[in-house]
Amino acid sequence: MTREAHGADVDVRAITKRFGTVVAVEAVSFTVRAGEFFSLLGPSGCGKTTTLRAIGGFEAVDEGDILIGGRSMGRLPPNRRETNMVFQRLALFPHYSVLDNVAFGLRMRRLPAPEVRRRVAEALERVELGALGVRRIGELSGGQQQRVALARALVNEPRVLLLDEPLSALDLKLRIQLQEELKRLQRSLGTTFIYVTHDQGEALAMSDRIGVMSSGRLEQVGTPLEIYERPATRFVAGFIGDANLVEAVVEAVDGNGLVARVGEARVWARREGWEQVGAGLTVCVRPERVRIARPDGRSDALAGRVEDRAFSGSLVKYRLAVPGLRLHAAVPYVHGTPLFEVGDAVAVAWDGDQAVTVPA
Amino acid sequence: MKVRGWLAVGLLAPVVALTAGLYLVPLGVYLINGFHRFKDGRILPVWTLDTYAAFFTDAFSYKIMRTSLLLAAIVTVLALAIGYPVAYALHTRVRGAKARAVLAVVLFCPLMISVVVRTYGWLILLANQGLVNTTLLRLGLIDQPVRLLFNMQGVVISLTHIMLPFAIFPIYSVLGKLDASLKEAARDLGAGPWATFWGVTLPLTLPGVASGGVICFTLALSAFVTPQLLGGGRVQVLPLTVYNSTVEINWPEGAVTSVALLALSVLAVWAVNRVLRRLPTVA
Repeated sequence: MTREAHGADVDVRAITKRFGTVVAVEAVSFTVRAGEFFSLLGPSGCGKTTTLRAIGGFEAVDEGDILIGGRSMGRLPPNRRETNMVFQRLALFPHYSVLDNVAFGLRMRRLPAPEVRRRVAEALERVELGALGVRRIGELSGGQQQRVALARALVNEPRVLLLDEPLSALDLKLRIQLQEELKRLQRSLGTTFIYVTHDQGEALAMSDRIGVMSSGRLEQVGTPLEIYERPATRFVAGFIGDANLVEAVVEAVDGNGLVARVGEARVWARREGWEQVGAGLTVCVRPERVRIARPDGRSDALAGRVEDRAFSGSLVKYRLAVPGLRLHAAVPYVHGTPLFEVGDAVAVAWDGDQAVTVPA
Repeated sequence: MKVRGWLAVGLLAPVVALTAGLYLVPLGVYLINGFHRFKDGRILPVWTLDTYAAFFTDAFSYKIMRTSLLLAAIVTVLALAIGYPVAYALHTRVRGAKARAVLAVVLFCPLMISVVVRTYGWLILLANQGLVNTTLLRLGLIDQPVRLLFNMQGVVISLTHIMLPFAIFPIYSVLGKLDASLKEAARDLGAGPWATFWGVTLPLTLPGVASGGVICFTLALSAFVTPQLLGGGRVQVLPLTVYNSTVEINWPEGAVTSVALLALSVLAVWAVNRVLRRLPTVA
């Protein structure tokens, strides 16, 4: 299969999908490049699964179009698309053996039996299930079933592999192990993956790019770093990682920074360019960027008090009360340094360029 | 089997007492007659296997058993063949709980009418001057009336009609339990609608087909009124023989025929259960 190196494999153009009066997906557009690991991330009910199912041909969109490999999909049924899906509930055929499950797609294409055998064996080898081909699905563990589902989809060499929260039923340890395997597999095969998840850690760890969805809309598309460092909306800022979201009014802007007022206090942030003096916005600061110290009378620090403390080994998490707002700080624990106590007065500050602004 | 506590005993007692008193005891008393002898219009209280020997050496008994099995088998196959598409349509094409409830009532209607009334209804429909023949004649599809009454055809038509709900609902219920993503997975892997049906939906709903089949088969095997009224004496089945023997006070023969009927039913249930155990479960 030849592909242009950086062409769009999947081009989603302003799709809208309604279920009765509920708008599940609203004017969502994005492109996925060939060989890319693209995640759709969002809370349950945000429309990410509906979007994935629309790409796979399981939902007909009400508006917009989806192009796969440059070809408009229209109302093409799933069996005539160059996609394969790994279902959330796996949907392995309980009446078939592992081999027959994996061979299903190839047999539907009426490939000669020797080729089916060879490719099924290869696929099972690739997911490290070579010896289990004759087993029934019910005889496998959750992790093994997961691998069969993956092999059953990948054996067809789809242009795009769609994955609908495939790891959500597994326990944490197995999930992390399979995340690594999935990523490795995707790299070695070069297949385009579109991965739906509500787990931001999973999306950040695995994806080349992430599309964050909320209430049927696509909020932002970017690399994990971009999304973490420069969230485009308040929702993205709050959903990806922990964040202090401070509602403030812009007081002054200069060059790359700005000062905003929250009640009596002043906060600093990096300037994106759209902010206007006198207008409200939200300042987003990650807890690990918040610095706390004993009060020393410096004018640019916020005067606060420790409200609560939680020690978690590598980090110490403080909840801080600053007049007019409440902030969270996560400070690396350094052996030997004393911790702040609940009730201690502290000076709270952060570097202006470590905080970002999003529309209120 | 374990019964827990006195509450359970108390709850079960009435049913157990009724079943034992009104069903098992009379059945036992009746079946004991199978080991007595019938001679000159009287039952002789001697202990003998003569009646069994007579039944199982008589070629006519085998003819009756063959007719019974054939009738039950044809009715079962027809009910399942007609019932599956209905159940499938009910499952996939009917949206909304209300529409489903209405259709369920319509499908169950035949069961709400007395078997005698229903059978007379079929008499009217299937008679030589009945609705079916008149329609077919008018349409020019036949030159003279087709004999649909007082033969196997009439009995099969009427029994299939009444067995349909018993075929439809077990299948419908299993279809409801089928994980919808299994069908989607088949489509995703390149199967068209037909390949999906034959490769995934049908095999996984076979347990429903089997249990519907068992119900239809055993009910059809023991059907009495329909063969009696619509068979016109030409459809000799086991329940009719039991009835005739009992009326003639030949209880020994009736008892032995009953045992044969019971044995065939049990055999059918056992055979299907054996097959069922090999089928995968849907859940």
